[in-house]
Amino acid sequence: MNIHTYEKVWLIAALVLIVGFIATVTYGSVGLGIAMIDDSEETVEPGELGEDERFADPRVEQVGENEYEAYVVAQTFMFSPDPIEVPAGSEVTFYVTSRDVIHSFSVAGTNINTMVIPGEVATMTVEFDEPGEYGVVCNEYCGSGHHNMEGQLHVVEEDEFDMTELSVEADDEVETGDEATIDVAVENRMLEELETTVTLEIDGETFGEDVTVAGGETETTTFTVDTADLGEGDHDWTVTVDDYEDSGTLTVVDELEEEDDDDE
Amino acid sequence: MMTMSNAYIDDFPAEAKVIRAAFYSSFFALALGGVFGVIQTLHRTGYYRFIDSADYYTVLTAHGVFLVISFTIFFLVGIFTWAVTTSLDRGVEDLRFTWGWYGLMAIGITLSGVAILAGFTDATDISASVLFTFYAPLQGHPMFYLGLVLFVVGTWLAGVDWFRSWWAWKGENPDERIPLPTFMVLTTMLMWYIATLGVAAAILLFLLPWSLGWIETVNPLLTRTLFWFFGHPVVYFWLMPAYMMWYVLLPKVSGGKLFSDPLARVVFVLFLILSVPTGIHHQYLDPGIAEGFKFIAMTNTMFLLLPSLLTAFTVVASMEHGARQRGGTGYFGWLKALPWRDPVFTGMALAGLMFAAAGFSGMVNAGMNINYLVHNTFWVVGHFHLTVGTAVALTFMAVTYWFLPQVTGKALWSRSVALGQVVLWFVGMTFMSNAMHRAGLLGVPRRTAEPQYDGFEFEAAVGSIGELQAQIALGGILLTLSLVLFFANVIGTGLNGRSDDLPANEYAGTLSGPEDAPLVLDNLKLWTAIAIVLVIFAYTFPLLSIVDRGGLFGPELNPFPVSIESVTLLAFAVEHLAVGALESLSLPGLLEVIR
Amino acid sequence: MRISKAGLLVVLALLAPLLVELRTVLSWINVELSVLETAVVGAVLVAIVLVWAFLPENGEDEDTDETADRNVSNGD
Repeated sequence: MNIHTYEKVWLIAALVLIVGFIATVTYGSVGLGIAMIDDSEETVEPGELGEDERFADPRVEQVGENEYEAYVVAQTFMFSPDPIEVPAGSEVTFYVTSRDVIHSFSVAGTNINTMVIPGEVATMTVEFDEPGEYGVVCNEYCGSGHHNMEGQLHVVEEDEFDMTELSVEADDEVETGDEATIDVAVENRMLEELETTVTLEIDGETFGEDVTVAGGETETTTFTVDTADLGEGDHDWTVTVDDYEDSGTLTVVDELEEEDDDDE
Repeated sequence: MMTMSNAYIDDFPAEAKVIRAAFYSSFFALALGGVFGVIQTLHRTGYYRFIDSADYYTVLTAHGVFLVISFTIFFLVGIFTWAVTTSLDRGVEDLRFTWGWYGLMAIGITLSGVAILAGFTDATDISASVLFTFYAPLQGHPMFYLGLVLFVVGTWLAGVDWFRSWWAWKGENPDERIPLPTFMVLTTMLMWYIATLGVAAAILLFLLPWSLGWIETVNPLLTRTLFWFFGHPVVYFWLMPAYMMWYVLLPKVSGGKLFSDPLARVVFVLFLILSVPTGIHHQYLDPGIAEGFKFIAMTNTMFLLLPSLLTAFTVVASMEHGARQRGGTGYFGWLKALPWRDPVFTGMALAGLMFAAAGFSGMVNAGMNINYLVHNTFWVVGHFHLTVGTAVALTFMAVTYWFLPQVTGKALWSRSVALGQVVLWFVGMTFMSNAMHRAGLLGVPRRTAEPQYDGFEFEAAVGSIGELQAQIALGGILLTLSLVLFFANVIGTGLNGRSDDLPANEYAGTLSGPEDAPLVLDNLKLWTAIAIVLVIFAYTFPLLSIVDRGGLFGPELNPFPVSIESVTLLAFAVEHLAVGALESLSLPGLLEVIR
Repeated sequence: MRISKAGLLVVLALLAPLLVELRTVLSWINVELSVLETAVVGAVLVAIVLVWAFLPENGEDEDTDETADRNVSNGD
């Protein structure tokens, strides 16, 4: 076979280029650790995500000192949780699955990008060095509302990040002279201990109590308010723990009616 | 009638008629696809939105299917028929058979086309807004899938037709080498037979029975993988005819000869063996496929660069040879001697140049881990508007200016308009595709009606999103104008009278001919066997693994028929019609149905 | 004319990719052009090409145009 010299040179240069490309990609995988989305996860039943321990309640969980896992469900035409909140300086492993059709989970302007196929769980581990807010888009056509499918990913300052959940149970209505109780449950979903102060403000008066919540635990603080001091009428209260707040109204009445408390 | 010329129609009048029919079918699809293209451009960029965003996806499906299935494939069966009959110098074996496959293709695409277009009207619940890739569980009307099957079977029979011609010719010329154009047709068709097995399996075993309700569920990853088994090689089915034009026609219009016949054969053999075992590179980001399989697909893909790089050399070398025959001199001075006045030449040269740019963005796509940044973004749309949208489409439009007189016997209406048309396409595509690539790098997704979101904004590195949108809209409008010029020429030529002063039906000779090519290159059985073995290597384990994980028919999953939308829409429409308003065919309504 | 009319058309067309890519390339060296500035640069480039094309070459007379357009048939 008769090949022109220049063409031989070109052929060799082309082969070198190709081998070079394969080498750089291999370096990216092995050297830089850019792993591909793969088949490491077991399949799931897309119709039974409600019973799945990871996806029944889509959320972020802390699994190590700076390590988190995010369980994300994509469905027409939304992502949950939304927004996804993680701290800067962390390593987050995303587990993403779909409830219905093929979607994608793509964080705009980054290389966080995966297809989301019903029945399969896409997983990828991402390092977040800096705080920032990103948009999450579905970049696979998933039906007529595809263009409305979006979410948010918030990477917050490490010292501003917590996974505290506040729930308050309080009496609505008490008789004058009785004690009103306000139970404040502080759940700490992080691994390390949480030291904080639970503050109750009612009628301009502030009560505070320091609490220490162990990792993964819930501590309940109970405030008792003497209604004699408050007097009859409506009293607005606010419970604050760090940045979380809950509020309500306590009504103090002369005598508690048996029924119909709604109608004045 | 006295004929003075040696045009194709003079030698093969009956075949010329089939080719004309194929061309006109192709141009009709191009016109429809072009209209939907400009609607999309203006809608997406927000300059002019007169359709509901939910209908955007019907427009997008039509744009994709009409352009990459009907426009390209009807055109290529035309030029393949030309290539076989001209290079073997014999008519088709049985004209009824030839019309038969053309008819089957036409019926098939009509069924699919009607199913897609019915998505615009609420008068029927037929719809197939599933896009060109029809990923399950999105479900189209059975007519859509059935039409695609008939169309593909039509192309299979077309291949049979060309093989029959070759076998008959071989019987009479046992010791001759396969003429280059026929060799290219046969290798392309062999690749196509292997490639279409994937889509045939996806449709016949799963999607069609599922859309008819015969089976309850499908495995979305399996049908998707079978689609891409076909979905990547189909791009070579579009590209190889364009390559053929660069090999057999471009050197001739440049005024010279093809640099090397043996290398041309090597290139087509490489395409035959490497096109199919690469499809998984479209699934780099799919969960459920192991990294190793993706790596194999990537390696094959990278080696598939080789035939394209070899083609770049041969094409440029042949052009230079032509230019020097025309009196060109100097290292670069020969460029001036090329026939830039000829739209056939200029169109192909500009198409080739853009294909080089497309090669670069393609290498980025092929790079497994860089792909994370661009996968399914607008970048990819920019990429394939350079490949199929320019390297193929512009080449096809340029060679139309040569073929149309050959198969109609009429002189081209206007060479100047034709030159303006190909140059305008180049400029328009430059604006559009550049902005698409850049927008993709910012994370702007493809396939979306309104790439603007409530919760965040894309941040441009250079300029602004608004400028990118403007650039895309400008490009889209220039491309539309270019299409208008193209159709003016096709119609103008059709209205011309019969000319007896047409160039002869010839293709390029070679500097280094088939006698320099080892005989083994013509051993089609060997190359087909190697191609099949490579496909088995690349696909057996991924497919087995996918079936093993998700089951042959996948998990319990409701089909997502896009036609149900129109049923809901119908209810809404009736309601709204009563008050005389059809506005906002309500997403809330859809959401309820879907959940 | 130094090049044929068709050649000139193609050269002008090739300015389009040059121009749109130039903006990106210049941004790497921290030169950010606005759309208007890019358009002005484009107009200047077009003008330069036109002047170059129409300036008579040394010792050549006006029938260059004809010469360049002579061989324009389909190469046969």
